Amino acid sequence: MSAKASSSQLSVSSSGSGGLSHVYIQHPPLRCNVPGSRGLFYDDGNKLLFSPTSDQVFSWKAVPFDPHVSPTSDSISEGPILSIRYSLDAKIIAIQRSSLEIQFFHRETGQNFCHKCKPESDSILGFFWTDCPQCDFVLVKTSGLDLLAYDADSKSIHVVETKKLNVSWYVYTHESRLVLLASGMQCKTFNGFQLSSAGIVRLPKFEMVMAKSEANSKPVLADEDVFIATIYGRIYCLQIDRVAMLLHSYRFYRDAVVQQGSLPIYSNKVAVSVVDNVLLIHQVGAKVIILYDIFADSRSPISAPLPLLFRGFARSNSSSSRSTAKDIEIPEANISDPEAIIYGDDWTFLVPDLICDVSNKFLWKIHLDLEAISASSSEAPSVLDFLQRRKLEASKAKQLCLAITRNVILERRPVSTVAKAIDVLLMSYSLSLKTGSYLKGTKTEKISHSAGPQISIPQSGASHQSSATVDNESMNRSGNLSTSDSEDNAQFNSLKAISIVNKEKLSGGAESSSYEESQLISPSISVDEMYSLLFAPVEEEMVGDPSYLVAIIVEFLRSASSEKIKVQPNIYVLTIQLLARNERYAELSMFILNKILEPSKEVAMQLLELGRQNSQIRKLGLDMLRQLSLHHDYVLLLVQDGYYLEALRYARKHKVVTVRPSLFLEAAVSSHDSQLLAAVLRFFSDFTPGFKNTPDCRAYCQILNEMNSAVAV
Amino acid sequence: MGMATANSGGSEGMELCIFDLRRGQQEGQELDKILFFFPADLPFSTQLSVIGLSEGLITFTRIFSPEAACELIEAERHSHVFYEAEPDIWMVMVVEKSKEAEAIWRIDALREVLKEIHSLFMMFYGPVREMLEKDPSGGLTRAHLYPFIMDYLSDFLVGKKTQLPSFRDCLKEFGTVQMLTVGREAAIEVQSLVRVLESGAGATHFYSLILFQDLLVSTTLSPDDTINLFAYAIQRLSPRALSSGASSWSYLRRGSTPSHVVVGPTFATVSVSDQFHHLPANSPSQDNSYHVKRPLQHNRWSKGKDGFLVTDIWGTETGSLIPSTPTIWLQQTGERMYLCAYQYKSLTLILLVPLSSILNGEQGVSLVKQQVLENASLKILKVEEKLSKGWGGENAYHVSGYRYLLIDDDRNVSRASPPAKVTTLAKESLLAMSKLREEVDLEKSRSKWDNADRDKDLEICIRVKNNAWVIARTTRGKELYMVLERANETLLYASDAFEKFSDRYCGGAFSLD
Repeated sequence: MSAKASSSQLSVSSSGSGGLSHVYIQHPPLRCNVPGSRGLFYDDGNKLLFSPTSDQVFSWKAVPFDPHVSPTSDSISEGPILSIRYSLDAKIIAIQRSSLEIQFFHRETGQNFCHKCKPESDSILGFFWTDCPQCDFVLVKTSGLDLLAYDADSKSIHVVETKKLNVSWYVYTHESRLVLLASGMQCKTFNGFQLSSAGIVRLPKFEMVMAKSEANSKPVLADEDVFIATIYGRIYCLQIDRVAMLLHSYRFYRDAVVQQGSLPIYSNKVAVSVVDNVLLIHQVGAKVIILYDIFADSRSPISAPLPLLFRGFARSNSSSSRSTAKDIEIPEANISDPEAIIYGDDWTFLVPDLICDVSNKFLWKIHLDLEAISASSSEAPSVLDFLQRRKLEASKAKQLCLAITRNVILERRPVSTVAKAIDVLLMSYSLSLKTGSYLKGTKTEKISHSAGPQISIPQSGASHQSSATVDNESMNRSGNLSTSDSEDNAQFNSLKAISIVNKEKLSGGAESSSYEESQLISPSISVDEMYSLLFAPVEEEMVGDPSYLVAIIVEFLRSASSEKIKVQPNIYVLTIQLLARNERYAELSMFILNKILEPSKEVAMQLLELGRQNSQIRKLGLDMLRQLSLHHDYVLLLVQDGYYLEALRYARKHKVVTVRPSLFLEAAVSSHDSQLLAAVLRFFSDFTPGFKNTPDCRAYCQILNEMNSAVAV
Repeated sequence: MGMATANSGGSEGMELCIFDLRRGQQEGQELDKILFFFPADLPFSTQLSVIGLSEGLITFTRIFSPEAACELIEAERHSHVFYEAEPDIWMVMVVEKSKEAEAIWRIDALREVLKEIHSLFMMFYGPVREMLEKDPSGGLTRAHLYPFIMDYLSDFLVGKKTQLPSFRDCLKEFGTVQMLTVGREAAIEVQSLVRVLESGAGATHFYSLILFQDLLVSTTLSPDDTINLFAYAIQRLSPRALSSGASSWSYLRRGSTPSHVVVGPTFATVSVSDQFHHLPANSPSQDNSYHVKRPLQHNRWSKGKDGFLVTDIWGTETGSLIPSTPTIWLQQTGERMYLCAYQYKSLTLILLVPLSSILNGEQGVSLVKQQVLENASLKILKVEEKLSKGWGGENAYHVSGYRYLLIDDDRNVSRASPPAKVTTLAKESLLAMSKLREEVDLEKSRSKWDNADRDKDLEICIRVKNNAWVIARTTRGKELYMVLERANETLLYASDAFEKFSDRYCGGAFSLD
């Protein structure tokens, strides 16, 4: 038995499904197999995966990623296909037929026309559609860029502007709206343009860094060595230097390109993905992934290099031994051995987070395993920091953040550590309030979509994660087989993805009613949730001296105050209870008097409640009621304490008419003090019009007379 | 100026004695009951006659009021103030009355002095009774009491004379703490610091007291312990106390006018300094076989390199030159604590570490200190910066047009006009206020007996001969006293002015109707 168990375990880890990993792809993939397919192409402008046959183009929506989506098809005429892209309004199909010709099909009418280049010098490297105001269509040629406009009336396309440049190859992503044109002997001199809805920006010409291997051999930069990555709304370019085994990074500003340091690489083949603004460097040769969160200045990886994981295979598969697994056909999945597939030779990485398995015609989406990532570090504040920046699985990130914070408190880690963790959470919340991402759902995003990515302004942090929606595609200039397409995560899809995650992962029940909204776009935790999901449960679970929790709450208040976040009274009430539990009344009054616990009716009521044990605290509660101008309650409590005349005077001064005279009269009678009763009666007779005619007046006058006569006797 | 002199005819006009009713009850052993007598050079017969009178009165009044015997004897020329510090251990102060010499007293203020002497003594040495039990001869107790009280009284010494709180001090309250008003943000920072200090060593909690200048910012001690430690801190530990060398109880002289020249470490007059610096030959406490620490001695604290305050009062640890860390007793818990004081600019932090939590003595204490520096120094900087920024200076709590005293009896906190401003008041105003306060004191003690749970509301407005308004109002544990000079003559005006003050500075606590 034990031997079997261990062997099965081995196979689990070898198949990758049970092993340690931070990144996974989820079975099933999107299958895009059609008979007679002539290859796969990806259009990152529309996030469509194409598979053309001889007279048709099948297209699958890659975003939002749904493995069961059915393709749509369009008829096209026969001919070679080098590349396909739909116009951004999806009305026109553009197909590159040769190095000289692009053919356009009108999808509704089926009409088509051609655009040809002069055969002498030019040859077409590729094309893309654009939403920039000057033109609709950009043709990248060895002689430069042609900007073309489509005329709907004449159903024709004409050149608007030409930019003459020598181009060896180019890279473009729709996400960044940035096209980089390589030139020079080593192909390391670059011209760049950003063609966004805001217009065309020409970047300064720049050179990439290449280490020399030997004296005379000069390495030539290839297009597969350069990646455009959009992270937190900033645009970076990553460039492989095979000699130095480094990945150089550059950041683009409107007027400058700044080198940002280099990351080590451990494999000759390297691919880059961006998932939820986390940079994934696939060390294809070593079959591991290194994660970076390029947010702050730090260039250190988030965690150790770990393999990519397959998820969602049938268990029976994993229990079979490794050698047999290869031969077993898994009927449903039609995948023989997952491991054999991982980083297969014909894997193409699409921008930003898709993998196309060209030979199997599979499309995979890359996911981060936030749970695993957060479990791999014990530095709570930095883990929280990382999680708070995750938008794709915001709800899960939020749950993890809460769990982590809860644990550090329950484990009684040093207050300074917990304070840092709370700082992180509140700063993130405050930021999300400012950017509106906490409450607003999807709205911000459409705007950012049209605005295009910001090449220019250095962004202030996380706020722009949402605006980074634009997607990019690394250009496919390689012949027929693969367009390296990228799905881009417009947030619509991510939102949908989240809601799915919500359903499956979060049914634990921890989540309160307050976030039914499965449309969380930010993992930030509101102050209210901090109370209901963090402090309140922790308080229940915690045993022993509550002063540790008080210290934590003080840090929380400090953090909230420095972020200018308003705190709900329930946290104050909790603090009062904790202090009172230790009978630290003197400190409690200091908290109240210095307004560390801000005045509110809830707080006042809690103080009054505690006031049964401690009269000073009761007074604090009374004072607070008065200062809050809660006159009615104040008067009632004065009466309760036996300060009848004071209560009457106060009621008169502040025109409290809601307290009935009979309340005072009854109290006065029960005090057996005829003077007091007389005074109260007199007060109402004098100051309440019509009181003398009420039955109350007559009844109590009678009682007063009886009391007086009793005294006289 | 302004200080009443209890001196008349060349001899000190004040006598102060402590005696134990359980001692010396046998004929011929009367001297045994005397634990302390000032002035010590009075003949025993005189001492015994003072004590005999007091004892007689106590015994007599106990017949009617066993719980609270005699509080005061008002004779024609003297007042005898009684205070039962511990069961059967009595302190009696006899002061001479004299209009000319400005010797006009408020009895409660004098009693507060007695109370403070005893509380501080307890803080350093524990209860007198316990000491007597340890050494039934009484020698140990006398050896401690004498230098302690003499050191204490030296703070009241102006020139040659002991100046006790008189009517001129009617807008001050002994036995209370004065607090710094801080904004919410600063208060949170302070609390954040307090929590760091508190969580010093695992399970055991440290207590802390934080002062800024001479004002209390935060305490985690019980109210009584806070008062004692606060009193000691502003006298011996605060930056002002350290820099001025010999200071005096700032109760009397805080922010005083320059005419109050602080008494230097060596007294001008030999005869007086004799009295204070040497234990007179006939003193019963003249016994050198006891090793007595004198925590109230002047000029014995200084700031060390690490920011912690050091003193040699507690001697050095055996076999080393490192001064021993002072220890005190907490009144509330009866625990013995190490007292570690740290100073950064105007900020003074006092950390109390239970003796029981530290096993290896001085070594352990210095480890704790090191930890505090590691964990809290950043926060200390921040708090100091925040408090300095919000600090309004000496006259921060001056309200122009008003001379006031605000007391919160529940929290033992008071706030008053700065002393320099109070001195501008006419003598008539001060006398009236002193008188008024006596009335209120009387009323308060009466209502305490009548109805312990209910605080009485009280309001008195007096128009003084010099056309000043003197006002007192008490409401549920809070008292507000006020002198308005050069004010309009109508009562309405006075009442309005009072109301305005209450609304503005007291959260409307005194504006009931």
